[in-house]
Amino acid sequence: MSDATDDFETIDVFDEEPLGDDFDPVDVFDGEDMDLRPGADSCYKCSTCDSSCPVAEVDEDFPGPKFQGPEQWRLKRKDDVEVDSSVMKCSNCMRCDGACPADVPLSQMHNTARAEYVEENLPPFSREYLRNRILANYGRLAKLGSAFPRLTNALMGSSAVQWLNEKLLGITSEREFPAFAEQTFRSWWDERGGANVQSEDRRIAYFHGDYANHNTPEVAKSLVRVFEHYGYEVAVPEQRCSGTPMFANGMLDDARRAAKFNVETFRELVADGYDVVCSCTSCSMALRQEYPELFSFDGTATVAASTYEALEYLRIHEDVADDLAEADAEYPDLAYHAPCHARNQGLDTQAIELLDGVDGVDVEDVGDSCSGISGTYGWKAENYDTAMQIGAEMFEHMEAVEGDTGLTECPTCAMQMEHGTGYEVQHPLQVVEAALCE
Amino acid sequence: MASSTSVVVIGGGSTGTGIARDLTMRGLDVTLVERGTLTDGTTGRMHGLLHSGGRYAVSDQKSARECIEENRVLRDIASHCVEETGGLFAKLPDDGEDYFEEKLQGCRDCDIPAEVLSGDEARKLEPFLSEDVEKAIYVPDGAVDPFRLCVANAADAQERGARIETHAEVTDLLVEDDEVVGVEVRHESGPGTHTHGTSGTTEELRADYVVNAAGAWTGEIGAMAGLDVEVRPSKGVMTIMNVRQVDTVVNRCRPKGDADIVVPHETTAILGTTDEEVSDPDDYPEEQWEVDLVIDELAKLLPILREARTIRSFWGVRPLYEPPDVASEDPTDITRDFFLLDHAERDGLDGLTTIVGGKFTTYRMMAETVADHVCEKFGVRASCATADVPLPGSDDFDVLRDYMDEFGLRSPIGRRSVQRLGSRADEVLTTDEPNPVVCECEAVTRAELRDAIDDSGSDLNAVRLRTRASMGNCQGGFCCHRMANELAPDYDEPVAREALDDLYQERWKGQRHALWGQQLSQAMLNHALHATTMNRDGDPARTGEAVAFDAFDGGSPDGD
Repeated sequence: MSDATDDFETIDVFDEEPLGDDFDPVDVFDGEDMDLRPGADSCYKCSTCDSSCPVAEVDEDFPGPKFQGPEQWRLKRKDDVEVDSSVMKCSNCMRCDGACPADVPLSQMHNTARAEYVEENLPPFSREYLRNRILANYGRLAKLGSAFPRLTNALMGSSAVQWLNEKLLGITSEREFPAFAEQTFRSWWDERGGANVQSEDRRIAYFHGDYANHNTPEVAKSLVRVFEHYGYEVAVPEQRCSGTPMFANGMLDDARRAAKFNVETFRELVADGYDVVCSCTSCSMALRQEYPELFSFDGTATVAASTYEALEYLRIHEDVADDLAEADAEYPDLAYHAPCHARNQGLDTQAIELLDGVDGVDVEDVGDSCSGISGTYGWKAENYDTAMQIGAEMFEHMEAVEGDTGLTECPTCAMQMEHGTGYEVQHPLQVVEAALCE
Repeated sequence: MASSTSVVVIGGGSTGTGIARDLTMRGLDVTLVERGTLTDGTTGRMHGLLHSGGRYAVSDQKSARECIEENRVLRDIASHCVEETGGLFAKLPDDGEDYFEEKLQGCRDCDIPAEVLSGDEARKLEPFLSEDVEKAIYVPDGAVDPFRLCVANAADAQERGARIETHAEVTDLLVEDDEVVGVEVRHESGPGTHTHGTSGTTEELRADYVVNAAGAWTGEIGAMAGLDVEVRPSKGVMTIMNVRQVDTVVNRCRPKGDADIVVPHETTAILGTTDEEVSDPDDYPEEQWEVDLVIDELAKLLPILREARTIRSFWGVRPLYEPPDVASEDPTDITRDFFLLDHAERDGLDGLTTIVGGKFTTYRMMAETVADHVCEKFGVRASCATADVPLPGSDDFDVLRDYMDEFGLRSPIGRRSVQRLGSRADEVLTTDEPNPVVCECEAVTRAELRDAIDDSGSDLNAVRLRTRASMGNCQGGFCCHRMANELAPDYDEPVAREALDDLYQERWKGQRHALWGQQLSQAMLNHALHATTMNRDGDPARTGEAVAFDAFDGGSPDGD
């Protein structure tokens, strides 16, 4: 050090651990150190994102995605970590991403700002942190729940537990917890002896996520049967949560651990000729968009480029449209809601286009509104009313079409559809299975 | 101080407002006249660097010492105008090792704290720095808001009894018997705060003494009394980036040259600059090659600049001066030192002193020298206190507030507001009225705008300089009209329209040099909003033409 004197602060570079020879500057961009201010260069303030934001539509105190994203980032300075608390009101539906005509990385800015906010402002022993961490890490709890599904379902369904959840954790007592399946998908898969079809050149690695494993194994089973029908060898590797609820809760460290595990697993499979297929549109969104935006593990980009939603994949590689047009199935009339995350991947019309042609299946689109629940968002007591206000348009449209069965790709949209209308909700893959598989 | 000496100060830049404050604090009766808004000349057209002295540590050690001394003073008395960013002198492979060592030694010789960082350490501090940067010297450079600083100086002077007249152009020096006895000014809209549409008046301001602090225009003022003041105005371009790519000042470590500095300034980064002598400080070409040059050159230090969005460029003219016998060929060789020219000694004309040369960082020291000189003439014994008494807004204040709780403002908006207002934050932001954000890019609320309007009348450009409203990436496209709206009900509609036009035109001026890529999209959107949505180029309310309502569909099913 030189004769640096008195009133000038020396810079903090020197207060940290000395930099070794192997210092890798790329680390600077990893996770929460990311400087996303340059992303504000693309914004010309048109406010299209604000007008497409479902939260801003019903909550006039919410400043909207333009503020949360490019404006807030542009106003930042180094060590200026005071992200506004309103970022926690963002539901992470990511509609702003699709709405923006100028490719501003809005959700990336929101995710990063939210992680900063949580790190700076939510003490790890606070009720909100604990609750958010529990919700974000739903998969870990689900493991326990699935071990004793009947007991857990009975417990979680009891009003006493719901009351406690609301009082202790701020999880709304208005909603009923989704029931755990008596047998998880993975246990079914093991019992079955794994894949029934072997193939050298038609191989998919299934990213089922936590929900299809623990709560709706019938969706996962449909995927397996449909892909095996087309002659694919299905692999079901070890995997963790896609990270979607973790991003949405600002738990970026948890998300990083999960994402790292998933990327490391799936990149090996991709190298062996597998494509990655998801049945949940938020899972495919995470692997394709959020991973490369937020992380830079070896193979992140490869996995992202090899990931597809199940029906999307079949449309690309198989003649599924014609096959379905010639098929028939006995199915109740369906009210289809396109999840926001499906919309962002350009997948919001495929279920209608494919399934409406099946003889005996009548599907109606209930419009382009957001369901409002946005994963864990609508589970929080403080967001419940907002979530239901956002969902009102969808409920109304569901009631207006024929039948009383819903259809959607997203498990939490399904919860909201069920909660708002009492309808049973199906996944498009279940309909495809009914139409194509004997 | 009843029978005080009266002084007219010409020029509302840093030097002029600094002199006005200093003389007023010493009990003199000061009138400051400025032809435009405060800082309109050179002060408002600089990159905002608060020199550590590092830039002069090799070539001009006297200036370097003055800089570090004044740097310390301004951090103290003008804390709400200064951001303590620190600065780097970054060495690229082409930059000489010897010069790097000389720079380091020079800093140490001048008591400028300096530390050497490895390339990786420098990149850890500023991640967008090029991989090519080999090492750097860290010095206490800072960023300063020249507008805020001048406004604070003028406000303090005014508070202490000075008269500050903007939009008051000096049209003549009054000379009687080889003595300057005052000035003649033309008030663009009458004396007092500026109101559009008010007719102009002329006023003779008689004074015991006149100080010519008109910067690049001192020569023109001198000529009014037949004096020859050889200012050599030299233009330089400053290009403003939409966001801060760096939070530290980044200088290139090489001997003086074009395009070698990036200064983080509020929400933006300013790239500078070029150095070309011009003959007329009011009329010189603004050339695109200058903008291209600063971007290309500085992209060697910060490659991200190559693709980054610029929102405007502006040119400033340095009021360089050298004694006539030096006769430097190249303006970059002209000293940055300042000169006090007492025309009684120099030209046999009493009552007038001109201050020329110098640089923004040492404005207070220059003002002190001038004030000492004037006081000595009149036997005033009060000593200078400007280095010790904080400017209005720079009394102790804390930016870490609960903005939502105290002012009902979202965090970054509250923080930026408090940073701009300093110790005046409570006075300005506390309101029972609704306080919406009017300028979203720069996070400026109605309360802050109203405060600035109280201060500067209908002159929205002066409001802009006080608040930064309309200085963000939309360059006023989304907020100029909202700002004009704030003039109601104090000013009527024609005044608001004219003020709006002035502001919008001024915003457009700088954008002309940034019309490619993203700022071009912005400009087109702004144009569509203002010309089409607001119909500002053909609004019947201003063209006076009656609207032919009959020409519209009456709405009946028959179509008539």
